[in-house]
Amino acid sequence: MKHVSRLFILMTGMIVLVLAGCSGTSENQEEAGSDSGSEGDTETITLGYYSSGSADEKMKDIISQFEEEHPDITIETQNSPYQQFFQKLDTQIAGGNAPDIWLSDGVFVQKYAERGAAKDLTEWVQNDLQTDQYYGLEFNQGPEGKYWAVPQGIQIGALFYNKDMFDKAGVEYPDDSWTWEDLKEAGEQLTIDMNGNTAENAEFSADNINQYGLTFFNITEGWMPVLKSYGGGVLDEDLQTADIDTPENLKALEYITDGMERGIFTDPSDLQAFQSPMSPFPSETAAMRIGIYARTLAANETGVNYDVTVLPKGPDGERFSPVIANSWIINEDTSDAKAEAAWEWIEYWVSEDDVQRQWAELGEAVPVKKSVANSDMFLNSGDKPENKQAFLDSFEFADTLDVNAVWSEWVNEMTDNLNKTFLGEVEEKEALESADKDVQQVLDDFYED
Amino acid sequence: MLVNTETIKTRRKTKKKGPALSHEGKWGLLMVTPYLLHFIIFILFTLLASLYFSFSSYDMLNPPEWVGLENYNKLIQDPVFWQSLKNTIYFTVLFVPTQTILALILAVALNQSLKGLKLFRIAHFIPVISSWTVVLYVADAIFNPRFGLANDLLVKIGLQPQQWLNDEQQVIPVLVAVAVWKGVGYMMVIYLAGLQNVPEDLYESAEIEGAGVLKKFRHVTIPLISGTTFLVLVLSTITTFQAFEQVYVMTGNGGDIASAGGPDNASMVLMLYLFQQGFSFLKMGYASAIAWVLFLILFVITMIQVKLQKKWVHYEK
Repeated sequence: MKHVSRLFILMTGMIVLVLAGCSGTSENQEEAGSDSGSEGDTETITLGYYSSGSADEKMKDIISQFEEEHPDITIETQNSPYQQFFQKLDTQIAGGNAPDIWLSDGVFVQKYAERGAAKDLTEWVQNDLQTDQYYGLEFNQGPEGKYWAVPQGIQIGALFYNKDMFDKAGVEYPDDSWTWEDLKEAGEQLTIDMNGNTAENAEFSADNINQYGLTFFNITEGWMPVLKSYGGGVLDEDLQTADIDTPENLKALEYITDGMERGIFTDPSDLQAFQSPMSPFPSETAAMRIGIYARTLAANETGVNYDVTVLPKGPDGERFSPVIANSWIINEDTSDAKAEAAWEWIEYWVSEDDVQRQWAELGEAVPVKKSVANSDMFLNSGDKPENKQAFLDSFEFADTLDVNAVWSEWVNEMTDNLNKTFLGEVEEKEALESADKDVQQVLDDFYED
Repeated sequence: MLVNTETIKTRRKTKKKGPALSHEGKWGLLMVTPYLLHFIIFILFTLLASLYFSFSSYDMLNPPEWVGLENYNKLIQDPVFWQSLKNTIYFTVLFVPTQTILALILAVALNQSLKGLKLFRIAHFIPVISSWTVVLYVADAIFNPRFGLANDLLVKIGLQPQQWLNDEQQVIPVLVAVAVWKGVGYMMVIYLAGLQNVPEDLYESAEIEGAGVLKKFRHVTIPLISGTTFLVLVLSTITTFQAFEQVYVMTGNGGDIASAGGPDNASMVLMLYLFQQGFSFLKMGYASAIAWVLFLILFVITMIQVKLQKKWVHYEK
């Protein structure tokens, strides 16, 4: 009997220990956080980022170089593929155990900032960085002008064109004199149906197309650049009011739907036939695309003979290039000591030429540091496209995609409404009216509280 | 035998004599503690938390704020919620009978003693163990509007090619067809087990009475496997109400959750809508309200099924 009781106590004890173990770690962490501000200690920070393949390796490389040069800081990494990363991150923030610093998609910076999860970096940015030496810092400022994040790499839009297709059709390459109408005219000659007729030809059939003039997808690489260069857009300057049902947007939309009806631009159902909506250009089924810098990777991989130029002008000469500054965010809840260590990492990332060069070699993003972006190393790397200068020139007329805290949600409403008119189900005017209403509803739900 | 009954008797006696928590009782409690803890922490607590969230505004990044019935009020007025409920029911109504009948037919066909039978059974089971991503590629090879086999076939017999997943009318039937193809093997195995439990002598006596193949099937097989049919129906209904992965993978353009459920919400199902609201738009309170409504609907449907089973399900003994 005694024997049994002892076992009973032992087992109860074990359960208690296991439970205690569950809660123990977080306490330990906090202790470590609070007293490690003193000199001589090493500070350990957690850094979260999304990546895949070679980018992951390069990031780890750069981190170990940083640790070598900063023996007082240790970085623990947490990384996963894009979708999972942000799902996990949101849950971590909810549970109060998010990384001290993380890499955010540029379009999510305001989502974290406006919900109080991102640390205000304004003072650090102004004291430690010469802001005019970097691209994209201004793209992470909210309407009130604070810096919430520092760019890790820049995605900016340009017009990609397939040189072989242009040569074959005898069409001159696009340049900075092009308007969207010029693009459509060239597109006519570059759109070819199953029987080899181009869109100019009377026998052309828009239902069976083998080669599109322009592939067109969603917001960044689809309607936003057109809307904006026609003088339209989605949100007001305060980013809390929808301004969609406008004559400028109507004109832009009519331009797009006309191109889709005639088969020159891909419509949403055309894209369903591809493995991914990104495929038409690299698989040489489209002569042109609106593309951010990262799209050069896929095009180089399939060996397309292509180049880039700035995006076309609107009817009044206005130009717009979409920009997404993927950025480092410091956790608002992290301790001061850790935040400082995280800032060291950010400074190291943006200001060290060598780091900037190593990252640029991956070909994923335009470097943040202007001197590196404007160097031979980036502009004349030998990889396509030849005219990388076009990406840098585009900064002059670049802006974000009306990013605010509920960006994903209003984009969803906008896309639903626009797709209806792209598929010819409703008139352009009706789509704009309905989008205006739906987007405003999303904004009110969030901002009126 | 004798020893056994004796020990049982003595045990019963000790149990009656002992205090509220006997020595054995303590042990019993200790042994179930791991399960109870698991239940309390991971099931009961999360259930209550989600119930609480459903009455609050919760964006995950900030603490939840109590808003009373606001989420449920919004739900009632939300056209996309009603559409996704309608789509889910439509999916279920098409899917459950089709899969059940096909599974039964396949099971009966594969319950014969034929050569190479195992091969056929395996062939029907392979889709069950494939992931939805793999199934997507197979489905795309058939239903791709530009390059798919289905349209090739239609054109060959002189019909118009169709848009399949891009068409608001066709998207759910196509999803159902693929879901049946993937799921029917599993239900077939359950039916096979049921069929093998039907006693051979019942068929023999039916034959002596002069029953043919169809009559034997109608009057012997069907009543005797009605318990299995009930199980298959309940399981299929629950899976369709929880359908998420398939719709997400097959309609989300390039893995994009925001575009899944199209065209124009024609394939938006409840679970997908819940996920989108909760995880893409950070409206966890609203998503929790959807989850509880979904639970209530499922609960009611299952209760109806349980009540109705008394009328047609035949259990032995």
